[in-house]
Parts: sequence; structure tokens; C-alpha cells
Amino acid sequence: MRMESLHPRIRLLWIAQAAIGALVVGIVLAAVDRWLTSIPTVAVFGIVAVAIGLGVAYAVRLYQVWQFELQGDALYLERGVVTFIETAVPFVRVQHVDTQFGPIERALGLSSVVVYTAGSRNADVRIPGLTPDRARELQDTLRELAVESEVEDAV
Amino acid sequence: MNRLHPLSAVAYAIQYGFLWLWIPIVLVIALGGATGIVSPAWAPFAAPVGFLAGVAYGITYYYRFEYEVTETTVDVASGVFARRSREIPYRRIQNVDVRQGIIQRLLDLAIVSIETAGGGTSEATLNFVSATEAKRLQREIRRRTAAVKDRRRAGNGETTATDTDADQVGSNASDLPPESTDTDGTGPIDPAADRAEPIAPDADADRPDVDATADRTTAADTADSAPPQPDRSHTDPTTDEPAAFDWEETRETRLFDLEPRELLLYSFTSFRPAAVAAVIFVFFLATDTIFELLLTAAQPFGGPQDLETGDTQSYGILTIVSAINGVLITYLVSVAYTFATYYDFQLGRAGDDFVYERGLLQRYSGSIPVEKVQAVTVTDNPVQRLIEYGGLWVETAGYGPDSDSGSQSAVPLATERRVYQFAENLTGVETPAFRSPPTLARRRYLVRFSLVALVVVVIAAAVAQVTPIERWYLAAIVFAAVPPAAHLRYVNLGYYVGDQHLVIRRGFWRRRTTVIPYYRIQTVNTRRSIFQRRLGLASLVVDTASSRSFFWTTPTIYDIDLADARDVHETSRKRLQAALRDRARDEVGMEVDFT
Repeated sequence: MRMESLHPRIRLLWIAQAAIGALVVGIVLAAVDRWLTSIPTVAVFGIVAVAIGLGVAYAVRLYQVWQFELQGDALYLERGVVTFIETAVPFVRVQHVDTQFGPIERALGLSSVVVYTAGSRNADVRIPGLTPDRARELQDTLRELAVESEVEDAV
Repeated sequence: MNRLHPLSAVAYAIQYGFLWLWIPIVLVIALGGATGIVSPAWAPFAAPVGFLAGVAYGITYYYRFEYEVTETTVDVASGVFARRSREIPYRRIQNVDVRQGIIQRLLDLAIVSIETAGGGTSEATLNFVSATEAKRLQREIRRRTAAVKDRRRAGNGETTATDTDADQVGSNASDLPPESTDTDGTGPIDPAADRAEPIAPDADADRPDVDATADRTTAADTADSAPPQPDRSHTDPTTDEPAAFDWEETRETRLFDLEPRELLLYSFTSFRPAAVAAVIFVFFLATDTIFELLLTAAQPFGGPQDLETGDTQSYGILTIVSAINGVLITYLVSVAYTFATYYDFQLGRAGDDFVYERGLLQRYSGSIPVEKVQAVTVTDNPVQRLIEYGGLWVETAGYGPDSDSGSQSAVPLATERRVYQFAENLTGVETPAFRSPPTLARRRYLVRFSLVALVVVVIAAAVAQVTPIERWYLAAIVFAAVPPAAHLRYVNLGYYVGDQHLVIRRGFWRRRTTVIPYYRIQTVNTRRSIFQRRLGLASLVVDTASSRSFFWTTPTIYDIDLADARDVHETSRKRLQAALRDRARDEVGMEVDFT
């Protein structure tokens, strides 16, 4: 069975984020050009264009690899372009589950589910790019599964 | 409700007096400068007013600070104007620590802090109580925490192997194989622990005298200093243990003493980064004096007369001699610091807690509940490996008394054999047969370190462009260090997939062998970087709730075959579920009496 993918619109979010980053770089370069040393305008536009291009490629690839699944004992996720990460979060380790959405996400009609564990690293696992309904549904499911599998095991 | 020691009223009064002293001074000077209504000359008269107000505040603070150890919680109420009352349930309490600085030791006072798993600071600090009250609180809270736990177990109708529930174990004996209940009743129902048992006397053989006498003296000590307390748990209908059991619970058994020889070895073979910070701090505090000292130290070797007059050679000598001096002094500070911190280190057991004490100037005593232990790590550095010694650290979740982490040194330094024996007895892990990553991994490190060496050469070349240094290409000598470095990194990697535990070893400078019980795993991650994917390798990151990992890296099995990584990933998850099911049935804990 194929694992669940994110909503295709998430690519727009990532592209938007990359574009914002590229614009910031462009502004910094423009400032350097203005006050420190002169940089050819073509170079500035070139760098910004390449950055946006890379961002688009990254977003497309990330969307292709990002998938998750509710398995028997754990929430399982696969993601990452440069470093590919497979994470298993056992339900019994779930401390709490949030749904969140930022301004761009809201504009795109998406939200994220964030799963918190008591771990020290990777303590919060985020599943971005879900429709608000799916996010709420996932949150409820995870919460139920976490309660179901709860044990008397204090940290 | 109880109050703090009366002397803390004095301490608070002085503290706030000197703090508040400055408020009217600043006000008078600021107002005087701005308006002219008041004159800055009034400052000497305003200061005592501020001081008295501060004293009054300090004393009020003392009278408004109350604490109480109740049936279910530790309550602390504080605050003069804004009141805060806090109730800490026993089952959330991680450590109860007692700290005594030099002055407090002279006045027989102590600071008690109560730690829970959450947050970055102590949950409650009692600053100060008398030393006997501190001991009483520590024991009382420990006893009640244990009682709460027992009650919970009893409430669940579960069988346990602690002696508080001895009669329950008897009645439910049909559930348990008879040999699985330890003679002292504190052991887990864990076949692995039993397997480790026969080897334990071997470890004790190192110094049977200490263990035997320590046991006797501690028992006597405790009997002297602690009269049996009125047992208030009788009023609680849910506990039906006789008072004698509580008394047993609070008696302390000595597990480990750091001998003078081990203390010295530990001081000289370990290095504390804090020493660097201390030396740099002193350097900035007294830069001129230190420059003079460094000059004087370098003169016999041909250093310059003073900082202005000197040629290239004498400056060079000054630099080299000062560098050696700096390293030497930092090292000595580190030695002294370690010595003072771990002087007279003792580890013991009281009920289900580890208790420890240490410190030369500042005496420190704390406890670690065994059930809160997340992982156990054996550490050693190259020097310690050379003399076959190592240390044992116990990792708990949340804030720890060692201020930077939740991990405590259970055995600062002992012979390697003994430390591994401790670790095995403590966790019940079988002697690990380590597996190494494929040799492909070593090739990766060869490439990685070559890149680092290349960066060094490039930097040298760049420096040569702007300074008169020639022959920058000599920096290429760093490439000679690459093969040994890659090899050393590789040979210190290893992992072992046990029945109940995962054992992960990594690191050369500070090699860490971490034993993670499957039931402590939080998340499992298989990571593959773009380079690892090309070689078919993967790293497995096993996250626990131990906060030590926040400063050390999270336990990671580096660069094993993808198939192996997936395998360990699956196994860890399966065994976590199996362990949780087992624990739901009967409580399997860590072995407390691990020596």
C-alpha cells in the first residue's frame, strides 16, 4: 500500500519560502552593492534566479519523497532531499499533538500537525501540507492512539 | 508549614539590603541631575534608607516563605507581594539534592533543591535549612515517593519484586518463577540480571574489604543519625506495610567509593572545558599582571625584556613559552576542579534510589530514582583507555544537579572491567558482542578527513598571500594524520542489538558506550545523506528522553549497511512494544544493587 503524501499545494509553500529567502539574499547583495563594493546587477539577479530555481527543484523533490503512514505501533515518516530520514514515533511516546498553520499556509488553505515526544533531539515531528480537515482528523487519531497505548512510564 | 532556618533570614536581609541600597542612590542622583529638587549630596543619607528597606524585605521574605511535606505533595509558598504557592506531586520528583558550600558547612546549613523532569531549573529551592533538616527532607521525600509508587503498583494489582510488597509477591507467586525473586528483593524479574549475577563477586574481589566495611559502617551511621521517624503512612488507608519496611527503605547501602588513587587518576586523566573558561576569565580580569608574569616566565628562554622591545625571535619564543604555560595552567585548573568536585565521592542505594555525595569545598548530595534512569553510558578517553579505566554515567530526563545536564556520574572512574561489570549489572544487559560498521565506512572518513586537511592547506595558502609566511605547502603534512584519524574513528564505532538493550559505542576522544533499554526509546530515525546513499550506508539515531544527549550527541549508530540499519530500526520498534507489554504485566526495572 502506498503511504500518504502531502497535499500538492505544499510545493507552493516551499517555493514561496525559497523565494522569500532568495529575495532577502538579493536585498543583502543590493545593500552590499550600494554601500560596500559594487556588484554587477546581472550577478545579483543571476544569484537570485539560481536560488529560486534551486528552491523550486528542492520543493518539487521534497514533495516527491515526503510521505507518512500510521503503522500498527508508530507514526512513520519519510522525508529529506539531501539527507533522507525515516522516522518512527511510537504512539506511546506521543506527549501531545498540535495543529498549526502559518500565514502562508493559511493563505494556501493548509495546516501542519506537530507531534511532540519527550525526546531530546527531534523532539517535535512536523507533518506539513495537510488540509485543515485531514490535520484535525490526524490529530484526533494520534491523540486516541497515544491514549490507548499509554503506560505507566514516567520520564 | 515549616520555615527556613532562622539564619537564612539574616542572609536574605543582608542580600536584599545591599541590593536595595542602590535604588535610592540611583534615584537621588538621577532626580538630582534632572530636576534639581533633590541634591545628589543626599545620596549618603538615602543609602541607609534603601538598606533598611532591603533588610525589612529580606526578613519579610523569610517569614513569607513556607514549605511543607504533605501526604501527596511537597508544597512551597513564597513571595512577599506576589504570592506563589506550588505543589509538587511525589511521582514527578526526580531528584532531591542537598548542597553545602564552605560557609554553610561551617554554620551547619544546607540548600535543598527539588528537581522534576520538566523545565530548565529546580522546581523548588530551600535556601537554607539546617543540615539535619536537609537530611530529614531528603529521606522523607524519598520515602514518600517510594510509598506513592508502591501504592500505585498495589493499586494496579501488579506483582513487584521489592520487599515492601513481599507478601504480595508471595500471594501471586504462581505468576512468577520462584528463582526470579532476588534474595534482597530489589532485583528485577529479569533473566539477564540473573545471568550477570555470578560474575558480580568477581568484580567485588577487587576490594572486598571496602564493600564489607562500608556496608557495616553506613548502616551504623544511619542508625545513629536517623532515629526511626513517626510513620505517618499509617494514617493512609491504602498503605498497609508495617513501619519497619519504611525504615528498611531509607537505610543506605554503599555501592561505590572513589578511592584516593582513583580520584587522582580521574583528576589527572580527564579534562574539563570549564577550566578553559575560568582561565580566560582570569586573563581578562588581570591582563596586565598576566602579561608581566608571562614575560618573566619566557625570559630565561630568551624572551623579550618587555612587550615593546623585542625581535621576531624573542617574540616567537614568548609566544611558544606562553602557549605552553597557558596549556599547563589550564590543565592544572582542570585537575584541581575535578579533584575538588569528586573528592570523597560515594554512591549508595536507599530504597529504589541511588544516592551520592561528593565535593571537597562544596559538599553535594543528591539522589537519582532508579525508575527515572533513561540510559547508562560508559565513557573513557584515550589516556583512560591506555590505563584501562573508565567512568559510568547515569542519564535521567530533565534538569540535573550537575547544572548543565540531567546526567550524573555514578562511578567517576574505576577499572574498565569493573565499570563494564557495573553497567551490565545495573541494566541487566548481557556482555555485548560489538558489531562494526562495514569497512566502507572507514573509506568515508578517509574522504571526509582528507577534505578537512584540504581546507587546512587552502587556509594556509590564503594566509601566505597576505603575510610574509612562505612555504605554505608544508601544511600538507596534515594529510599524514588523515589515515590514522579515519582508522581511529572507525575502530571506536560499534553496536550491539541485545535482547532488552541496544548498546552503541562511538567517539575517539571521549568514547561513549551507551546502553539503551528498548523501553526507553522515544523515536528511531534512519538517516542517509546523499553520500551515504551512494555507498548504501545509513546512520541510525536512537533518541531517548535523556537530556545529556542534548550536550553530547544523540546516540547514533554511524554508517552501517542500509539493510542492517532497517533491521535494527524494526527490531528496536518491536522490542520497545514487547518491553512495554512486559512492563505492563510486571514491573521490570533497573538493578539497583549493581556492584
